[in-house]
Amino acid sequence: MKHSVNRPPTPDGAEDQGNEPTLQEIINIKLIESGEKERLMELLRERLIECGWKDEMKALCRSYVKKKGRNNVTLDDLVHLITPKGRASVPDFVKAELLQRIRSFLMSAAL
Amino acid sequence: MCLRSSSYTSPKPCKHLADYKLRHAFNGYDSLQNCLKTTPIGRTRVDNHNTKIPRCNFCNGYQGRLYICLMCSSISCSTHILLHTQSKSGHDVAIDIERSELYCCLCCDQVYDPDFDKVVVSEQIKGLCPGRSNKRRRLDSGMELDLKKSKRLIAMRDGRAKSCYPLGLRGLNNLGNTCFMNSVLQALLHAPPLRNYFLSDHHNRDECKRRYGEKLCLLCEIGALVSAMFSGDRSPYSPAQFLYSWWQHSSNLASYEEQDAHEFFISVLDGIHEKESKVRNSSKDDGDCQCIAHRAFSGSLRSDVTCTICGFTSTTYDPCVDISLNLDTVNLSAAEKTGLSTLSGCLNLFTRAERLGSDSKLHCQNCQELRDTSKQLSISRLPLVLCLHIKRFEHSLIRKTSRKIDQYLQFPFALDMTPYLSSSIVRSRFGNRIFAFECENSDSSAEYEIFAVIAHSGMLESGHYVTYLHVNNQWYKCDDAWICEVDEGIVRASQCYMLFYVQKLLYYKANKDLSCNASVESR
Repeated sequence: MKHSVNRPPTPDGAEDQGNEPTLQEIINIKLIESGEKERLMELLRERLIECGWKDEMKALCRSYVKKKGRNNVTLDDLVHLITPKGRASVPDFVKAELLQRIRSFLMSAAL
Repeated sequence: MCLRSSSYTSPKPCKHLADYKLRHAFNGYDSLQNCLKTTPIGRTRVDNHNTKIPRCNFCNGYQGRLYICLMCSSISCSTHILLHTQSKSGHDVAIDIERSELYCCLCCDQVYDPDFDKVVVSEQIKGLCPGRSNKRRRLDSGMELDLKKSKRLIAMRDGRAKSCYPLGLRGLNNLGNTCFMNSVLQALLHAPPLRNYFLSDHHNRDECKRRYGEKLCLLCEIGALVSAMFSGDRSPYSPAQFLYSWWQHSSNLASYEEQDAHEFFISVLDGIHEKESKVRNSSKDDGDCQCIAHRAFSGSLRSDVTCTICGFTSTTYDPCVDISLNLDTVNLSAAEKTGLSTLSGCLNLFTRAERLGSDSKLHCQNCQELRDTSKQLSISRLPLVLCLHIKRFEHSLIRKTSRKIDQYLQFPFALDMTPYLSSSIVRSRFGNRIFAFECENSDSSAEYEIFAVIAHSGMLESGHYVTYLHVNNQWYKCDDAWICEVDEGIVRASQCYMLFYVQKLLYYKANKDLSCNASVESR
């Protein structure tokens, strides 16, 4: 990536959180490093397509765009529209499956 | 890789993107090339080769959408990206790290640039192993048949006929559980390419008998049938001669039992093809065959089998004369889902990437090992006449039972097959990219109009087939010997088993020639 001469100095925010990473962050890092996060994301995508969740979100976006007009909608609008509905409508069996995967990963990573 | 914008509209860049391009051209994009990482299934992310996970410069957050600035490589989350662009003038354009998509911070919206997509896609292709080269098949869609000649062959209309139904509508007598045959014949004889072919006497029966003697010829039989249907005589016709000839061709199906209409359809096309290949003494593969059955119905399916570990894709092409679809009986979680099965749902299911189970691992040429694979079908060449077969009859060999799926299927009268083409399916694997990278033949249209529906009612063993035909903007129900006008609502509500669509351009031309008021030249 091109490094511009005018690169801003590292903001204070990065140093401000305290030295200890939270448990959630540690788990996240472990998931990413081992490649498990990528696999989980793929599994999630597959399940959400299979159960029709993706089609539902698509339909929501389409009807919104139809209502507002194609040129009056931004990506941010759509994200704000479907995020709450999307989170709420993930089927329980999908959540359960992923939690189970994460659980077994944690056990094998012996955290 | 070609840049074809005709079949895919290129959105105009916002003025901030346009400004950026003016000032920096491809500098940003080129240096991006080393930082793109592709996963086997085709997602491309931006990877700075940092050991740390990307975090927002303002809030240190690592969740949600993160963007990397094209100018200074600083990372911001979607909440704080506006702050970044406000603090640094000219830092308007950023890239979504997870998806490699352009984002304009001032417009707060995704933007598109073919040059950017070209860079990303070329990296994706480098990252995955290329499949087999795509053999271009040109479909001879120039079926310029002389319709004036076909009109001369139609005898003057029987003055006693009271109805002014369009030419060609005539009932077929049931000869003993032969509604499966009658329904398919009605659809076939009204398929514009076939109807025109036979009406133009392209298969001359006298000449055929002279050359090949009295031997069985399904083409002659169909020709005789077409003449009878278009003779102007409205009394129901008994296709006994045709039935007899077909029995001789498909002796395994010869009986008075109810048969499957789809099976009959395939065997008729097969019979037409067989005769043609004997005549031409050639054994061309189905894709190039010039027999009328293949010229009308032949298309090509593409199958991509991808190794889930390395991304190596092996591509094969298979000719097909129809597409058999499973019903999209999907269990949906949300309460508001009505559970309606639609044709587009079935087509989506058909072209969806499917993970093959771990018990059916395939050998990957690249990894040199058995691997989990993902398979995806798409249509690489569309036929002139598209026959869609809905798999309502389930035969379980294990349990030795068969059952019929009665689920209602909603289908459109106008069908756009673009999303199911190989170009669309393969393009979508690369994310939201805006140009076609496979030079598909865009001369043939992907828009279709329906002209016939074969509906099945009743149970597996004792059901009944009828055909609905759309002629001159009116729907007709062909129930063996009885033809009557019906409302389009009846057709929509019917339990469709086979759907026949024809390319839009052919459809309008065909209907123009068949209009009720067209003058018929007497012999």
